[in-house]
Amino acid sequence: MTNIEQTTAPSVALSPGRMTLHRALRHVSFWVGGTIVLAIILAAILAPAITSHDPAIQDLAQRYIPPVWTEKGSWDHVLGTDNLGRDYFARLLYGARISLLIGFMTVLISGAIGTALGVCAGYFGGWADMIINFVITIRLTLPVVLVALVVVALVGSSLTLLVMVIGLLLWDRFAIVVRSATQQLAHREYITSAAAIGSSTWRILFKEILPNITGPLIVVASIELAHAVLLEASLSFLGLGVQPPQVSWGLMVAEAKSQLLFRPWMIAVPGAALVLLIFAINLVGDAIRDVTTPEGKA
Amino acid sequence: MLIYLLKRLLMTILVIAVTSVIAFLLVHLSGDPAAAMAGEGASPADIASVRETFGFDRPIVFQYLEWVGRILSGELGRSYYLRMDVSDILADHLPVTATLGVMALSFALLLSIPLGVAAALRPNTVIDRVALWLAVAGQALPSFLFALGLMYLFGVYLRVLPISGGTTWAHFIMPSVALGYYATPAIMRLTRSGMMDVLQSDHVRTARAYGLSSWRVVIRHGLRHAIVPVVSLAAVQLGFMLGGSIIIESIFSLKGIGYLAWESIQRADIEVIQAILLVIATAYAVLTLLADLLNAALDPRIRIS
Repeated sequence: MTNIEQTTAPSVALSPGRMTLHRALRHVSFWVGGTIVLAIILAAILAPAITSHDPAIQDLAQRYIPPVWTEKGSWDHVLGTDNLGRDYFARLLYGARISLLIGFMTVLISGAIGTALGVCAGYFGGWADMIINFVITIRLTLPVVLVALVVVALVGSSLTLLVMVIGLLLWDRFAIVVRSATQQLAHREYITSAAAIGSSTWRILFKEILPNITGPLIVVASIELAHAVLLEASLSFLGLGVQPPQVSWGLMVAEAKSQLLFRPWMIAVPGAALVLLIFAINLVGDAIRDVTTPEGKA
Repeated sequence: MLIYLLKRLLMTILVIAVTSVIAFLLVHLSGDPAAAMAGEGASPADIASVRETFGFDRPIVFQYLEWVGRILSGELGRSYYLRMDVSDILADHLPVTATLGVMALSFALLLSIPLGVAAALRPNTVIDRVALWLAVAGQALPSFLFALGLMYLFGVYLRVLPISGGTTWAHFIMPSVALGYYATPAIMRLTRSGMMDVLQSDHVRTARAYGLSSWRVVIRHGLRHAIVPVVSLAAVQLGFMLGGSIIIESIFSLKGIGYLAWESIQRADIEVIQAILLVIATAYAVLTLLADLLNAALDPRIRIS
């Protein structure tokens, strides 16, 4: 790959951050995945502008209208209507809102918990490491789906609770990855010199270590974002996640489950949306891993 | 080895003990168990009487200690809903989940080990790519969708497999595939990287130099070494499956532990929920312990450090 870019670029020394960005922009899966994720985010935000239908309004005279590609379909309801006459396309768009909202909110919570634990375990070592390792082991021993179902069922499902429960359950990978990344940094010279010139522990953790583990952190965040979307869908599918009149893709699959024999597209449509979103998030995550690890820099 | 074994054993007991506290607190603090058991629309007097009958009015520490005491003497409690001993209920449901778990794991191993070996023997070829894409697709496909897809294809369209219940072996095929598929990417990756390492080692080169057939080299001198970490990963994956079987069991109406958990959650049968949480967590802890011990027995570096 000898192109103009490569011959001119080295004359100006780019910061490592800019170089990573440059590599990312040349990565095909970053583009493909990023475009899909962005498109889904935009569709979720602009849902009221894209469709004039309300996802919750029922019209029992308009039940089970087939989608537009079948003979009886019409452009008025592009993806048809469901068992209560609600527009399926509108439900798909508004459902993206809940999936994305829960996904991003939970990653904020689980990322904060996992990063805090991982940095402490990796930097302080010794007793702190032992205790945090034990906490991680406990967390791994608890079955995620079951614990989430129990709490949601006993407390009563709400969006806040779902975010809290999923966020409190999915921090383990953050902690494990951040811990080992911090361990690798803890004895580097720039860290020990920061300690030697009297930087406070907080300063070392936040200004020296944290900025240098953003690569693995973003990769884990993408994995956990996909994981959270999946878990929300699974809980909603089992009837204990998002509750009507709110919409989520998992809930749409659950409501269409009885139509497997007669109208399989009702499962396929929200299902495909779910797969596409998770697949795109994973693509972006893989691309970021490629460009942030040393092997990818060649 | 003995010291390592004792340390890990102690650790496992500690993990199970802490997990039991969490399981108990989850069920008791996630709302009022008495209100949940009395059901919707129960009067305050009804709730109070349930609370008294089941002893929820006593201090929580006391309730926990009593629960643990009963478990240690072999009593798991009594389901208020089914009016049966929890241990009897679990004994009814365990064989189904155990069958499902073993079949799912077998499926996962039968799919992932050959693929992993093939990918290691021919890196960066079509086989390697297919293996990789199988893993990527698996990560993006929710298990309930995969299960419904299988159901549609084999149950509705081709009509070759039963879609609900667990009376014959055929009933277990689709649930096992749907559950086991999710263990394949990890096992396959580990097999692939392990095989690639082993195939480059001196003893494999020597075996090749002796003129042994390439199959013999791959299986006896390659896979035999690469399989060790795979076996312990498989044990951990089996633990994950026990926790994840709730979705698959509820879709296929397989009356196993997961199905029981789902039913019990819906009728707030807290004694059963507690027991299931504890059983699954214990199973996971014991399986990881076995995996670690196996690794330590075969790799001396682990037990010395």
